[in-house]
Amino acid sequence: MSTATIDSHKVDHHGDAHGHHHKETFITKYIFSTDHKMISKQYLITGIIMGCLGMFMSMLFRLQLAWPDESVPFLETLLGKWAQGGKIDPNYYMALVTIHGTIMVFYVLTAGLSGTFSNLLIPLQVGARDMASPFMNMLSYWFFFLSSVVLLSSFAVETGPASSGWTVYPPLSALSKAMPGSGAGTTLWLVAIILFIVSALLGGINYITTVLNMRTKGMSMNRLPLTIWAFFLTAVLGLLSFPVLLGAGLLLIFDRSFGTSFYLSDIHLNGVGALTNSGGSPVLYQHLFWFLGHPEVYIILMPALGISSEVISTNARKPIFGYTAMIISLIGISFLSFIVWGHHMFITGMNPFLGTMFMYVTLIIAVPSAVKTFNYLATLWKGNIRFTPAMLFAIGLVSFFISGGLTGIYLGNAALDIQLHDSYFVVAHFHLVMGSAAIFGMFAGIYHWFPKMFGRMMNKTLGSMHFWLTFISAYLVFFPMHFMGLAGVPRRYYQFSLIPEFGIWMDVNVLITVSAWLGGLAQILFLYNFFYSIFKGPIASTNPWESNTLEWSTKLKHIHGNWEGDIPTVYRGPHEYSRPDRELDYFPQYEKGNGEPEHYHGPVTAVDNSYEGKKEKASTVFFSSFAYLFSMKRA
Amino acid sequence: MNTFFKNTLKIALALVIVFTAASFMSDVIDISGLSVEHLKADKPMFGTAEYAYDPGQADTPEKTLASKVNWTILIFVILMVLVLANAMDISKYTAKITGRETVNQTNVNKWMMLIFLILGFIGVIWEYIYHGKFILMNNSSSEHGVDYDSMFSITLILTSIVFFMTQFLLFMFSFMYAHKEGKKALYYAHNNRLELLWTFIPAVVLTILVLRGHQTWKSVVYAEENHKGKINSVEVFAYQFGWKARYAGEDGIMGMSDYKFISGTNELGLAVKSEVDMLLEELKLQIIADEETVKNLNTTILDGLMADFAAADGVKNYKSMESIQKKIDAVKNGDRLSDLKESIERKKKQIERILAIQNDEKIFASTFTPAAIDDIIAQEIHIAKDSLVTFNFRSKDIIHSAWLPHFRAQMNVVPGMPTKFTFRPTKSTAEAKAENDEEFDYYLYCNKICGVSHYNMKIKVVVESQAEVDAWLKTQSSPFMKKTEVVPAIMNDSLQMTNDTLKRVALR
Repeated sequence: MSTATIDSHKVDHHGDAHGHHHKETFITKYIFSTDHKMISKQYLITGIIMGCLGMFMSMLFRLQLAWPDESVPFLETLLGKWAQGGKIDPNYYMALVTIHGTIMVFYVLTAGLSGTFSNLLIPLQVGARDMASPFMNMLSYWFFFLSSVVLLSSFAVETGPASSGWTVYPPLSALSKAMPGSGAGTTLWLVAIILFIVSALLGGINYITTVLNMRTKGMSMNRLPLTIWAFFLTAVLGLLSFPVLLGAGLLLIFDRSFGTSFYLSDIHLNGVGALTNSGGSPVLYQHLFWFLGHPEVYIILMPALGISSEVISTNARKPIFGYTAMIISLIGISFLSFIVWGHHMFITGMNPFLGTMFMYVTLIIAVPSAVKTFNYLATLWKGNIRFTPAMLFAIGLVSFFISGGLTGIYLGNAALDIQLHDSYFVVAHFHLVMGSAAIFGMFAGIYHWFPKMFGRMMNKTLGSMHFWLTFISAYLVFFPMHFMGLAGVPRRYYQFSLIPEFGIWMDVNVLITVSAWLGGLAQILFLYNFFYSIFKGPIASTNPWESNTLEWSTKLKHIHGNWEGDIPTVYRGPHEYSRPDRELDYFPQYEKGNGEPEHYHGPVTAVDNSYEGKKEKASTVFFSSFAYLFSMKRA
Repeated sequence: MNTFFKNTLKIALALVIVFTAASFMSDVIDISGLSVEHLKADKPMFGTAEYAYDPGQADTPEKTLASKVNWTILIFVILMVLVLANAMDISKYTAKITGRETVNQTNVNKWMMLIFLILGFIGVIWEYIYHGKFILMNNSSSEHGVDYDSMFSITLILTSIVFFMTQFLLFMFSFMYAHKEGKKALYYAHNNRLELLWTFIPAVVLTILVLRGHQTWKSVVYAEENHKGKINSVEVFAYQFGWKARYAGEDGIMGMSDYKFISGTNELGLAVKSEVDMLLEELKLQIIADEETVKNLNTTILDGLMADFAAADGVKNYKSMESIQKKIDAVKNGDRLSDLKESIERKKKQIERILAIQNDEKIFASTFTPAAIDDIIAQEIHIAKDSLVTFNFRSKDIIHSAWLPHFRAQMNVVPGMPTKFTFRPTKSTAEAKAENDEEFDYYLYCNKICGVSHYNMKIKVVVESQAEVDAWLKTQSSPFMKKTEVVPAIMNDSLQMTNDTLKRVALR
């Protein structure tokens, strides 16, 4: 199969490559497919399934936090010996927290998001017949699939899944006598993560090669859609940082199984006695882990930012504001993300001077992030916003990015982190900026490119309802957590009822749990909409969002090689919306046009009175001064 | 047929949503609905309140009220969903006929943006006011905490301004520039001056924050180095799952300690010669016992287990049978054997290492100083108000984190790596009780996931005058002081005891 695919690429230049395809069987078409569009669908469906599981786990352990002393019998039905008497076992609570984190960070927001949309969009948006190495691409998915199976299989282990937190810090994770989950469960976790890293590397190399080498005629780097820039930089980040996690994981396996002492030293364990390990350092693992761990945050976030840039530009019918600035900030974030890992470790006992350095570089990251936020706002300004579900989710993303990003300024500050480290404030922070923002980016991507993936449309009304319910419940879940953290509530506590001081938060915990369940149930709307529309949705038009980018020039029906005949040539950047010198409010990259310049430089009237209503003129003084700033250049 | 199928699906979906939503809402109001007696196995897991509602039993007014509220909510939600479903259906059919959307989604979403902005801001401000009362701010009980709190306030004010400003613009723009027929957006691709402006302003603000943060950080982490003069010190020892405090005894010197010296009677592993000798003896006996077990593993021990298994009542005592079965399996598949061998190796190594310390004159002299003998070990931490104190952290097993939220202090406790935190408490426990309530106490919590009882791993911290601390120290035991006085008796006893137990174990 692979040879057949690669051959068909070689003969692409004839223009009739698709005449002589091998006959595809069910297996080559749907299972071991090497077609990037099918692989993208496989990633998406796997990601959605994993996402549902991860979310359901959080809903279960939220029950424990809201009603710590109540019995919820259906938990016993569901979890058996891990919830005897309807109360989740503390060890299993930790396991749920750990696997929830692992699934969400790696399987949903790394593979599900980046895997789906990099695979779908890179070839389609740069104008390539397929990935540089379709076979490797297929391997990448199957390693991911295998990894998911291995991770989930740890629920079948007698001592339970890994339960030392998604960061799996040794010595807790290295010693099977320290907690039950650190036995076979952690072995499976490590194997799953190593398979996952292999998958991420195979995918990453492919994405980078495809973007650099396989762009169509006219598609220079400064005409790439921001999605591609984001996917490209994400792949670079992954390629440089995942191997470090591989190293960390291997050393941990050595420590666990072969008696080495990379991370272990001076340990006397209850019921075991003094261990012979000496000379290792648990902090070494933390350095290695966060060397991946911090770039990982951006591996998760950047594709979401790329998707939202594209979706906002398309649906606001405006060029993305400051295209170059957006790229520079992405590059800046990528570079900085490699030298800030220490801000996860301010109070691990590392040299305080290192803390100072990490604080400086961490707070610098806020600058490119701020630029991105302001550029999004400027893109919305005076737009003609179409509230498609994708656009709603993109706006939600910007809102979360602001809320969660700002709390990063607290946590990046070494002094403030002394108090906030590992408190609920941190939980609120990363769930907003990394969790919610990225998952909203993923939803935006799904709603936006659903017609491209499945040739049908999703229901808009259900989409809007899904957005509002999820958006509101996410804020209800995560916003109060800031205050809990600031009041001194630690993270990863199984129950708060034993400590009287935390009693005042009981009603907040109930509110959070109820909101989490409502948010979780709201996803039924999405699942119904998604799966129903795959089969029964109205047939889409070729370019339903009137978008500029190259993927909408392909036929609705998926074919191997994407374009019948030649790959279209690209004439301009991806964001030429609402150009005054054109009748239509979009100008596709692949349309030759009548000699219009690449960018419109003609006179722009400062205020276009044709749509500037009276309402806007009566807006606040602050707002008009902001509007004035916008018109500075033209004055 | 198709429409029928669709409608059934739709109704089923609506019912599921209604049912679950209603039951959850009812749980908020009536949490007791989640207790066992309302959720017998023969009843569905959801909809507890409806099933709990039994007119015959509902004699208490609260219960009737709660049930009424639940039914109201249920009916309300059903109505809502019916209206929504109808609206959707009607709009779909009219859309089919007229080719236009009747429910203008743009308008709905546009107004939702504005409503969300207003309600959201009200909610955020309510949180600031209502939950803001509980947050630890402006009430620090330590000296550096005051600095910390002002740093926090500055950050809070700056970020709040940016938060309200940007969120306002985001939702206002979404509201104001919603799609209108025949309107064309403004083509406006970039403005370098503007972009420079909003690169420059955050950069300046962040520079201010970084410099301020740097100062605070420096003053906290270098507190010990910068202070000339005496600093009180306490060793805070963490283990699964608890804390212990160690104070220097009357000599004012903290004795040496080593994880290899930890034993049942010497929980902190202090370098006390008699204790260490006892540990060596104990280890040797354990090795002998282990070797004995290895010898008898497949004969007497296995037979004994089999006999136990046969004797256990399978119906009543399923659990114990299961655990015996596990033990038998472990013997049969060799797990037990390798465990024992490993344990023997480990103990031999430990003896070897202890002897290495004891046999090297220099190391011996520097380790086994008399300082350790009078050290005091306590279950509470008492520190003196207004004088600088250093917590020296040591972990027995895995990483813990010592968090003292009221003192704005936290430091990880790492095995094999000494860490410390220096601060000056400025508010005594009595003062804090007066400010809060009688129940209030300072605690040190574990804040790094460390196992099953992580959530309950805390130690009380008491801040009082130096005189009170001294008086309290007098009441605390220094375990090895007494022991040296009555060494022979206790030692013999405990040795005898271990001997007996070990023999019994070996026989089994």
